[in-house]
Amino acid sequence: MGGATAALDYDAELMLRVKDGDGASFAELLEKHRSPVVHFLYRMVQQQAVADELAQEVFLRVYRSRGTYEPTAKFTTWLFRIATHLALNALRDGRNERSQERLDERTGDMPTLQVADRRPSVEQVMVRQATLDEVRRAVAELPGKQRAAVLMHKYREMEYTQIAKVLNCSESAVKSLLFRAYETLRARLAHMA
Amino acid sequence: MPGPYGKDVMKCPLETRENREILVAYSSRALNGGDTERLEAHLQSCSACREFVREQRAVWEALDGWEAAPVSTDFDRRLFARIEGETSWWQRMTGPLGFQLVYRALLPVTAVACLVVVGVLLERPSPPIVRPQPTAQVVEGLQPKQVVDALDEMEVLDQFNHLMKPDSSTPRM
Repeated sequence: MGGATAALDYDAELMLRVKDGDGASFAELLEKHRSPVVHFLYRMVQQQAVADELAQEVFLRVYRSRGTYEPTAKFTTWLFRIATHLALNALRDGRNERSQERLDERTGDMPTLQVADRRPSVEQVMVRQATLDEVRRAVAELPGKQRAAVLMHKYREMEYTQIAKVLNCSESAVKSLLFRAYETLRARLAHMA
Repeated sequence: MPGPYGKDVMKCPLETRENREILVAYSSRALNGGDTERLEAHLQSCSACREFVREQRAVWEALDGWEAAPVSTDFDRRLFARIEGETSWWQRMTGPLGFQLVYRALLPVTAVACLVVVGVLLERPSPPIVRPQPTAQVVEGLQPKQVVDALDEMEVLDQFNHLMKPDSSTPRM
């Protein structure tokens, strides 16, 4: 918890330096949070080009807001609130409407599967690919807020309190969102056990 | 150490709506020690919760296998280009990114300008020495018309003097 507090202070401190005109601090924040934001957006919209574009917009908004920034919350809460807002808008506007079609195709968007130790056989690769497609479909079928909650909980290891602040809802609402989301995912993916 | 879910014997989380997230936390191995012990004690006697945990762990592992796509290599370059494109020239000069740009660009320009100024000062010819001119030269410098006018005036004056002092040889009227 102490580490989290220190991280909070440091990120907020960096942002306050950006506010004072320090470009190097913005570059440091970008370096630290670029991958988490892009990965979150990629899993939200499931299309690399759209995720990339949205991530650019996230950091652009952070930079534009530097003049009015006040460290009233964790920097990452603010950052992921912007990212979630943009992702939910993109989903609503259908900017990733082709993503579901693309799930049925083999495209360059998909990261290569990593199988430890040995080089996988063709059969193993195909099985892993089918599994991955199923996971992606199951996540894509979740409603936007449930999807965002699961991704922040699973991949960012955020606490309920922080997810609640990002999604601008109560902690109990987050618990409910997560439980329903995992319930859906269990129904879709439990056979993999 | 008791966790947030109490220290009594645990009721079935699936039957108590407010505590069911404990199963999710346990499945993702994020539950603290005290609650883990109490839940594990409950799991020994509750097949529904055991099944829940088994399925939830399967979901968790399936999600683990989903690698995100890598960040594009020119992400930063495009972002900074957009930032530069949006800011005015003044903001660019005074802004945080602009400061570095100005610092980097103006320093060599200023150095070159200083060298040029020093070079010009060193190569500049000395001003001509102004010497006082003698009076004769000034007279020599008179224009012919001025000389003619002066002679005319002298002649008129001479004639005037003759009229005022008439010569004896001159016949009277």
